[in-house]
Amino acid sequence: MSTTTENTAPAPTPAPVVVLAKTVITSWKAPVAFLVFTLAMFALAIFGARPGDTTFRLSSPADAIQLPEVVVPSAPTVWVVAILLAVVTIVSAAMVRAQKRVPLWLIVIFAVLFMFGFLTWAAAGSSLPMIGLLFGSLSLAVPLIYGSLAGVIGERVGVVNIAIESQLLAGAFTAAVVASVTGNLWLGVIAAMVAGVLVAMVLAVFAIRYLVDQVIVGVVLNVLVVGLTSFFYSQVLVPNAAVLNAPPRFERLPIPLLGDIPIIGPVLFKQTIIVYIMYVAVAAVYVGLFHTKWGLRLRAVGEHPQAADTVGIKVNKTRFWNVALAGAIAGLGGTFFTIGTGIAFNKEMTAGAGYIALAAVIFGQWDPIKATLAALLFGFASNLQNTLSVIGSPVPSEFMLMLPYVVTIFAVAGLVGKVRPPAASGKPYVKS
Amino acid sequence: MGNRLLTASVVAVISVAALVGCAEAPSSTGASSDAAGDYCARMVTNSGGLEDRSFNQSSWAGLQKAEKDAGIEVQALVSTGETDLAPNVQQAVDSGCQFVLTVGYELADATTSAAAANPDVHFSIVDEVVDAPNVKPVIFDTAQASYLAGYLAAGVSKTGKVATFGGGNQPPVTLFMDGFVDGVAAYNAAHGTQVVALGWDKVKQDGTFTGDFEDINKGKTLTESLIDQGADVILPVAGQVGEGSAAAALENPGVSVIWVDNDGFDTLPAKYHPVLLTSVLKNTEDAVAQIVTDDAAGTFDPAPFIGTLENGGVGLAPFHDLASAVPQELSDEIDALKAKIVDGSVVVTSPSTPE
Repeated sequence: MSTTTENTAPAPTPAPVVVLAKTVITSWKAPVAFLVFTLAMFALAIFGARPGDTTFRLSSPADAIQLPEVVVPSAPTVWVVAILLAVVTIVSAAMVRAQKRVPLWLIVIFAVLFMFGFLTWAAAGSSLPMIGLLFGSLSLAVPLIYGSLAGVIGERVGVVNIAIESQLLAGAFTAAVVASVTGNLWLGVIAAMVAGVLVAMVLAVFAIRYLVDQVIVGVVLNVLVVGLTSFFYSQVLVPNAAVLNAPPRFERLPIPLLGDIPIIGPVLFKQTIIVYIMYVAVAAVYVGLFHTKWGLRLRAVGEHPQAADTVGIKVNKTRFWNVALAGAIAGLGGTFFTIGTGIAFNKEMTAGAGYIALAAVIFGQWDPIKATLAALLFGFASNLQNTLSVIGSPVPSEFMLMLPYVVTIFAVAGLVGKVRPPAASGKPYVKS
Repeated sequence: MGNRLLTASVVAVISVAALVGCAEAPSSTGASSDAAGDYCARMVTNSGGLEDRSFNQSSWAGLQKAEKDAGIEVQALVSTGETDLAPNVQQAVDSGCQFVLTVGYELADATTSAAAANPDVHFSIVDEVVDAPNVKPVIFDTAQASYLAGYLAAGVSKTGKVATFGGGNQPPVTLFMDGFVDGVAAYNAAHGTQVVALGWDKVKQDGTFTGDFEDINKGKTLTESLIDQGADVILPVAGQVGEGSAAAALENPGVSVIWVDNDGFDTLPAKYHPVLLTSVLKNTEDAVAQIVTDDAAGTFDPAPFIGTLENGGVGLAPFHDLASAVPQELSDEIDALKAKIVDGSVVVTSPSTPE
């Protein structure tokens, strides 16, 4: 990616016109990355050619509008895609030579083309259910997105929240128990948020008031909540499973009209209320952070607490309550594991989602929208791995299991580049 | 406010410490007086813990059975991670008990070294073979039972596709999968059908895995992928991850699940009863109880105990609520097949078969 910097030359007093010296820094990163992927596609076409047709199923039988299946012959399609990729690569190289930046739309075109070519190759001789692929991706991403929102708020206000995992797990546990006992799903949601807040408050108290290293408090909390929930699970929930651990579930709520849009309708708008709340939460956090007084204060506290203090913002109070808010969001995300899908609580069932969410925060450059996209990318790569291994991919399963991580690393290296955290993230504020 | 919170969290930490203290000795019973004298037995779990609805739980049930029936004093040491394994085995040996049971292949190394250092103590290890004069391995030829499950699955499938997936590519897991796909093939050979088994390629010894034994959400999406490909009978071999399969089956009419290790009808929440076709049973409980009771009576030999259809170590659970979905002829064929495996005229083979 290239960057353009403009330096204002000091204007000499007699001259009436200010002269701007312009420096253009070009970057060959995009064309080089394109070249690597294009060569990989040619390698698939030449050495890995697989016979048969690839079928893309664009509708599931339950959809209102049925799209026809798209059938392409695998081997020729891979060749066509490889050639198209080569064209895009040449275009991007020409742009860089002409000292222009490679625009984002070209990167998107390249990524979509490459993904289409790869899927055509990997699914040769079988059919790919696109709805199921995307639906599952979103299901895997939901807890990551909630967790990354909590992480973004925490770090933007200056507290590193390693404890997302424990907040998700506490939320999942509490939601299952409260919803089972009361039979009321919303009480379960509220209880999960309270549980998330309690975990967050422990973090906040130690990090803000007692100035304990935030990373260490977070790690300890993760271990503590795993221990607590596992203990109560085996000693209390298992013997009384019918009463304490048989949660009801949120049913799917298809949204009229929106749910009937081909492809995206069944994926995005035939979900449970937990997922709809997530859409609202992402938008709310984004608008809140960057377009409200609350967000301005929050970011000020996370970037330069001394300055914020000088203008009368109570730094530690702001941090405390926003960390608590982040805990509520993560706790809400935890409900997806239990009452969101109708599964009873099980030990360590969050399975590291909180850590992936933490990575999404950083990959997403501490921005709620980008963090959401990073979480979606991870969810997509995970479910792509599922789908490909089911249809019998030629790649060994151990390697396939690495796919989500490999894709995420490449995407981050290629698209994100250098990241800068909030300046005061992780640093306790002591009034001097 | 902050102070009160701190107090609350300190109380929480202390209570956890207290609880952990309890967990280390959950079942110290003083009743070690009668027949068995001062004979006692210790068990060390792997990281799954005692309520894993799998071999830790059933091994512990076996020891408790021995405690009840033979008056043997038993205790369990719960490992929470890889680093606990060897210290826990050492602690079990240091307790002065004559018998130490370890559970899971992760404990093989710790058991081997502890057995070499303590030739007077008798060891037994579940689901792994350790070759030493004072170690009795307890292993199960689960392929025999999952062969029957595969035959059954192929027989009840309406779509002509069935599927399996595992938690990780390890012999105790893939043994189930080998038997399952062979059972499907046996049904095809007997009936001239073309039922396809997704998720496992026996020749390549590779297939579909979730990568862990915890992530139920992933188990659910993976099962949805299998259902998208047309599978309507699913065999998850992945511990609690399998509950995700059951949840996915509930949402997709016509799909059923085969549970493993124990009877899912008893161990899973009741709402899954309508989708549980059967379970591939692994009777660790009775095997462990027998071995401990024999050892207390002075009989111990290091020859592996291999659970088979013949000795009841493995088997197929009843069909329960889905009994009406299994035609009588199919049920009879499975009984006949079982008899053939027991008398040796049908041999179920797998690279992972314990020897």
